[in-house]
Amino acid sequence: MRQQSMSGDVIRLDGVTKTYQTGSPPALADLSMDVAAAEVVAVMGPSGSGKSTLLNLIAGLDRPTAGTVTVAGRRIDNLSESGLARFRARHVGIIFQFFNLLDDLTVEDNVLLPAQLAGASRRTARARAAELLARMGIDQHRNDYPARLSGGQRQRVAIARALVNSPELLLADEPTGALDTATGQEIGRLLQQLNEGGQTLVLVTHDPALAEHYAARTIRIVDGRLARAGVPA
Amino acid sequence: MSWLGPVRTASGGMRRHKVQAVAIGMVLLISTASATLGLALLAASNTPFARAFGAQNGAHVTVTVNTARASTAALTATRGLAGVTAAAGPWSESTVRTQFAGQPNGQMTLAGRASAGGPVDDVVLNAGHWADGPGQVVLDGSPGGGGPVLGSKLTVTGVPGNPALVVVGFGNSVTYTADGWVTPGEIGRLQAPGAPRSAQMLYRFTHAASYGEVRADVAEVTRALPAGAVSGAASWLASENQATGNGAIMEPFVVAFALIGLVMAVLIVGNVVSGAVVASYQRIGVLKSVGLSPAQVVLAYLSRVGWPALAGCLAGVVAGNVLAIPVLHDSADAYGVGSQQVPWWASVAAPLGMLALVMLAGFGPALRAGRLSAAEAIAAGRAPRAGRGYAAHRLAARLRLPRPVGLGLAAPFARPARTAVTLAAVAFGATAVIFAFGLHSSLSRAAASQTRSAAIPVQVWQTGPGAGPGQAPTAAQDAAVTAALRAQPGTLHEVAQYVNQVKVPGVAGSPTAQAFDGDASWTGYGIIAGRWYGAPGEVDVNTAFLNQSGLAVGDTAAVNTGTAQVTVRIVGEVFHPSSEPLVFGSTRTLPGIATPANLWQWDVAVRPGTSTGAYVARINGTLGRGSPWRATTQHDGGKFYAIASGLIGLLALMVAVAAGLGVLNTVLMTTRDRVHDLGVFKALGMRPGQVLTMVVSWVAGPAVVAAAIAAPAAIALNTATVRAMAGTAQTGIPASFTQVFSPSGLALLSLAAVVIAVAGALLPASWAARARPALALHAE
Repeated sequence: MRQQSMSGDVIRLDGVTKTYQTGSPPALADLSMDVAAAEVVAVMGPSGSGKSTLLNLIAGLDRPTAGTVTVAGRRIDNLSESGLARFRARHVGIIFQFFNLLDDLTVEDNVLLPAQLAGASRRTARARAAELLARMGIDQHRNDYPARLSGGQRQRVAIARALVNSPELLLADEPTGALDTATGQEIGRLLQQLNEGGQTLVLVTHDPALAEHYAARTIRIVDGRLARAGVPA
Repeated sequence: MSWLGPVRTASGGMRRHKVQAVAIGMVLLISTASATLGLALLAASNTPFARAFGAQNGAHVTVTVNTARASTAALTATRGLAGVTAAAGPWSESTVRTQFAGQPNGQMTLAGRASAGGPVDDVVLNAGHWADGPGQVVLDGSPGGGGPVLGSKLTVTGVPGNPALVVVGFGNSVTYTADGWVTPGEIGRLQAPGAPRSAQMLYRFTHAASYGEVRADVAEVTRALPAGAVSGAASWLASENQATGNGAIMEPFVVAFALIGLVMAVLIVGNVVSGAVVASYQRIGVLKSVGLSPAQVVLAYLSRVGWPALAGCLAGVVAGNVLAIPVLHDSADAYGVGSQQVPWWASVAAPLGMLALVMLAGFGPALRAGRLSAAEAIAAGRAPRAGRGYAAHRLAARLRLPRPVGLGLAAPFARPARTAVTLAAVAFGATAVIFAFGLHSSLSRAAASQTRSAAIPVQVWQTGPGAGPGQAPTAAQDAAVTAALRAQPGTLHEVAQYVNQVKVPGVAGSPTAQAFDGDASWTGYGIIAGRWYGAPGEVDVNTAFLNQSGLAVGDTAAVNTGTAQVTVRIVGEVFHPSSEPLVFGSTRTLPGIATPANLWQWDVAVRPGTSTGAYVARINGTLGRGSPWRATTQHDGGKFYAIASGLIGLLALMVAVAAGLGVLNTVLMTTRDRVHDLGVFKALGMRPGQVLTMVVSWVAGPAVVAAAIAAPAAIALNTATVRAMAGTAQTGIPASFTQVFSPSGLALLSLAAVVIAVAGALLPASWAARARPALALHAE
């Protein structure tokens, strides 16, 4: 069941600042932005600019030092750790650059895990996992361990895992960063298909081509500040 | 500096590993304290007696002879018997009743000796001088403590003229050859009319290390003398047993705890170093790539455990010495050789030995780190070997368990060696806890059986002078007690007990006979073998009697009660831990013992619901202030049991804490190894409570296995320890003393494994639960 804010934005950040150590420059400084439902936004910037910090704040993996973060119509910067965990399980799917699959679980068990943690029934979770594995074209590997898969296959498993709880928001941190060009394009197309189905997507990437081809809008961050927002030509 | 500097830098300092340092320090403290205490008890139970026995040329056997049957020449001739290496005597002796300050002072055996020294039993004078004139006595022991002091007068009763003896000295005979010594000419004045004349011969033999050898030695002397000449023989082994006291009895369980602590220390330290090496492969690679030699790497990893281990060992020595104070004080009282302290070598050997052991345990993994090639180490990283535990995860995923529980239960299979160490630490801890409960129950049963306070809540003792000759109670005063007891409606059972020494030919020592003038089957003696006597002619004996006589339950023995010679059948062995041989029978079976002079006490059982305090008050009210007899309530236990119980509880708690710290250390290492996975779990929506459940579940499986191992191990350890303690106390034990675990109680106690494991895992689990997912994801 997807929910959206009254304004139609899935993400809204107001004056968000994140400082890791007192006295050091902020990783993010007074940043405000929003992302509408079914939008694909690319976040770009040089290393250390604050892209991953932004993603962590949106995902509820970290808390801002100041400002408010609202995702899927819910302010999350003031949630408890348990509240954040519930929020992540139900509303956000995360795709990592290095997949972060659990090596000792099979492909199917990796995909099932978020559903099980969220308390989904066994039957529902299995059906959803089977559907996603088929959609990602890796259902024949459901009983394999991640170590036996190629990079592209692993990222497909990671995407399936991110989607298993039908989140409103999909966050992808350099989703093609660990893949060769062809495989990266495959994953890009897959993400595009998801967006065509109505999936809101935030892509953190170094790859201008990925942003240009698949994102409706690109946000550039430099030294923790919003540089400019633009629509690719 | 140039060589050690990099080692110091590489070891990283213990500030970064506080929890591991505390775990290592604590477990070393516990094991060193136990080892120090164990060594101290070992020394206390052997050294002082052996030293005193050697210095005093202690008598292996003190033979009492009837001088009417053997001449002085015949006795002197026994010095040349085969196997006799030294002999002293014959010295006339007399057993007399004495009074001190107008109060009965008990029965004393006085020997007539011209001097304290000699080839055997060189008595050490503690105070005063040796008796050198009439009317003087030297007492065994030390002055004070409410008893006689130098110059005190003892009145000898029961002999013509009730002569007085002035205490002129105090001395120690290591084998207690007599309660006191007078000049040889004094003995004649101290003989009761009609009493048989006796003398003592003291011998040292070539072979006298066991009761069997001592019996053979006594038999040799007996054969060399006319029939009936030897009326008794006391073995040095009985004195040794008495001297080693309760400290020696505690030794088996202290050693058991020390061994548990030692194994745990080795396991935990080995695990810490091994874990540190495995977790730091990359770091080792980097250290080597910047130029550290293999030896420097080894030293860096050993120094990581060395400092906290050293601190733990030093604290452990102090703790061991503190713990030893009450135990050794108790033991020193038994020796009568002054205060006892932890020997210096125990305070050196225990920490050095423990330190050497733990360094040895850490050396293997540290050497592995030293031998790793830099490239191999960097490449290996910290991940467990691929493939381990996958099947367990697959199985756990199919089980209908909450997912965090399934993930937690499968996790230990990824690191089987670490899991084995966790399991062992928990098993040792749980074994210690179950063992402690078992031992406490066993000792409680022994205490209850020894004092028999449950069966005999009330006893009547002589506490004041009677109105008879020598201030003994009169027959009327005795009869008044019986009448008072029988008149009380609260009386369930009452039986009078008479006590006197008897002679059993061929038996080493002079057994004490306890004769009951009625049914005494209710008095609650623990039966080790056979049964309580019933028919006339039947007796029970204690283990010391059987050990010293070589007889067994079912055998017959001839008992000379002083007025009659009777043949009795031994029908049971009763629990009565004493080095003194004891015979229990009815006054009909042991004729001549039931005399007013031998009346010792009444044992009384009260009806259910009767207040013992009120009962005792009523009896004493009936007897009146003029009666020498007073009723008293019986209390359980005693100093030994209090010290032993306290020590057991403390040692078990220490071992359980060490086990918990071992678990904490292992779980901490695992959470550090798996911090990235924990970040992934959290990113996927695992809540803090679910993280806590998963991490605690890591140890749940090993805990259940540990419980299954600990329960039978604790039973076996308890049985072996109680038997060893009983062996030290020279007593057998009833089977009920070791059968202290009910199935439900054992199942409940086995939960100790789960409690230890969960308690140890909770802290790192809560740290893992609280960790920020963003930090965990980026931690490597």
